[in-house]
Parts: sequence; C-alpha cells; structure tokens
Amino acid sequence: MTFLATADPTRTHSWIWPEGYEVYFGGAASIFVFALLFKFAGPTLKKGMSDRTARIQKQLDDAANAMSSAQAEAIRIREAKGDIGSERARLLAEADTQAQQLLVDGRARLEVEIVDLETKAVADNVAASGRIGDELRAEVARLSIAAVDHVVSGSLDAATHQELIENFIVRVGAGR
Amino acid sequence: MTDQRIDGYARALFEIARAEGTLDTVEDELYRFARALEGSEALRNSLTDEQIPASRRQSIVEDLVGGSASPTTVQLVSMVVGSGRGRDLPAIVDSLVARASSAKNLELAEVRTAVPLTGDQESRLAAALAAATGKSVNLKVVVDPSVIGGVVATIGDTVIDGSVRSRIEQLKSRL
Repeated sequence: MTFLATADPTRTHSWIWPEGYEVYFGGAASIFVFALLFKFAGPTLKKGMSDRTARIQKQLDDAANAMSSAQAEAIRIREAKGDIGSERARLLAEADTQAQQLLVDGRARLEVEIVDLETKAVADNVAASGRIGDELRAEVARLSIAAVDHVVSGSLDAATHQELIENFIVRVGAGR
Repeated sequence: MTDQRIDGYARALFEIARAEGTLDTVEDELYRFARALEGSEALRNSLTDEQIPASRRQSIVEDLVGGSASPTTVQLVSMVVGSGRGRDLPAIVDSLVARASSAKNLELAEVRTAVPLTGDQESRLAAALAAATGKSVNLKVVVDPSVIGGVVATIGDTVIDGSVRSRIEQLKSRL
C-alpha cells in the first residue's frame, strides 16, 4: 500500500496518515472552528446546560417533594388506617358493651315482668277464689234466707206460739 | 187531711164512744180495724175509692165488721168512710186512742202478735209492760201474721221486740 501511494500521486503517502499540510491546515481550521464555536455557541450551550441542570435539579426537587408528600400521605394513610382500626375496635367494643347491657336489661325487665305476671296471677287467683267464695256464701245465704221463713213458720205450732208469748211476758215482767 | 181536721174527727169519735159508755170497746175495735186497714191495700182501696158511692162503701164496712164489732164502732167507721175520710181513718183512730189513753192517764202500748192473746195473757202482758216502763199502759193488741211468732210491743218510742221475725232478720243479717 505504501508503495502504491508513493508511486501514485493521487495517492497519499500513508494509507492512514494525512498529508502534513492537511494536518496543519486542518488543525488550524479545526481550532478556528472550535474557537468560533466556543465564542458564539459556548454561552448558548453553557446556558442550555445550565438550564438543563436547573431543570433536572427542579425535577429532582419535585421528585423529592413528591416523595416527601407521598411519604407524608403514606404516614397519614397508615395513621388513618390505624385510626380506622382503633375506631373499628372501639365501635366493636361499644357494640359489645351495648349488646351486653341490652341483654342484662332485657333479662332484668323479663324477670320483673315475670314477677309482675306471677304476682298478678296470684292476685287474680286469690281474687277469683275470694269472689267465688263470696258468691258461694251469698248464694248459700240467699237460699238459707229463702228457706228460713218457710222452715220457721212451718215449725211454729200453737204450743210454740203460746210458749213464745209466755216467755215474752215473763222476760218483760222481769225487767226485760 | 190536716192534723186539725184529724183531731176534730178523733175528738168527735171519742166523745160519741164515751157518751155511749163503750169507749174501751170502741177504742179497741177501731184500733184493730185501723191496723187491718193499713195492712190491706184492697180494703183500703175499696173504702177510699171516690168512684164507689158512699152508701156502697158504708155497706162494705157493715158487712165487714158488723158481726164482730159493736154497733157504735160500726157506725163510727161507717160515718168516717161515708164522709170520704176513709184514707185518714188510721190517723183518726190513732189520735182517738192517744186521746183516750191520755184521758185514762195511760201510756199507749201497741202489741203485735202472730196469734190472738187470751184475756189472761193481755192482763199479764199489760202488767209486765207497766212494770218494765213504770207506766200504766193502754194495751192494744194487733194480730199481725208478719210477726210470725212471739210479741212486738211498742210503748211510745220504746220497742220491745221478742218476735220470731226479728230473730229471723238477725239471722239473715248474720248470713
């Protein structure tokens, strides 16, 4: 290849290295271009990088804030969850207490009602017994009263009448 | 009828009976008749019914007591009934008996029995009542079947009840 480049003017002296002047001029042009770029595009580029850095920083800050908010929200949710749990436990305990109280009250009320019913039943029984007894006594008395006139009148003969009269005279004469 | 008119009739009957000399008998017969009149609604209605002529009412009286009472008693009752005062006859007779008792200085004692008393029983009963009350009594005996048995004596406000009826009533009260 080196042989070929030396022999052929259209060819470079090295298959990899440029010619010397191309290195000089190319290097100078590159430096010039880089200088221009540094002079005119540098600030813009620098500003773009700063803006990018600021944007990235802002995104990082936002992310940090979001993470803080999320963590706070997570804490709040956990707290709320804890509150819900305690509230649930409190409600369940309260419900248990109310149920127990209702049970106790219901038993007490039922016991009182049972006692009242028993007392009323006993009183009714006594009243009914008394009433029946009274009615029976009244009926016996009524029958006795109805019979006594007839029995007594029928049993009074003339001798008895005279005896009653004589007894009355004697009793009155003796000072009643 | 006013008390004054009743007293007037009683005084008239009293004077007539006393003039006839049968005061005790008439007084006793009138008293019995008055009690019988009180006890019989039918008799009372018959003798006080203004629709029945006075002569008819008087003939009822004569038929009723003519055979068992003295003529003076029959005539006096007939007179009262005929004058339309039959309803007031018991009050008139009560006034007459009170007047007679007062005239004889006796206390009226009404005695009700279920059966008639004998004369001896009446005498002994009058004596017993006099001893019990400390007053001489003008005994008037009324046969009242409602007494059932025994005797009920009423002297003024005092009642001595020895009747079977009262004992039955006491028994009924206890029952």
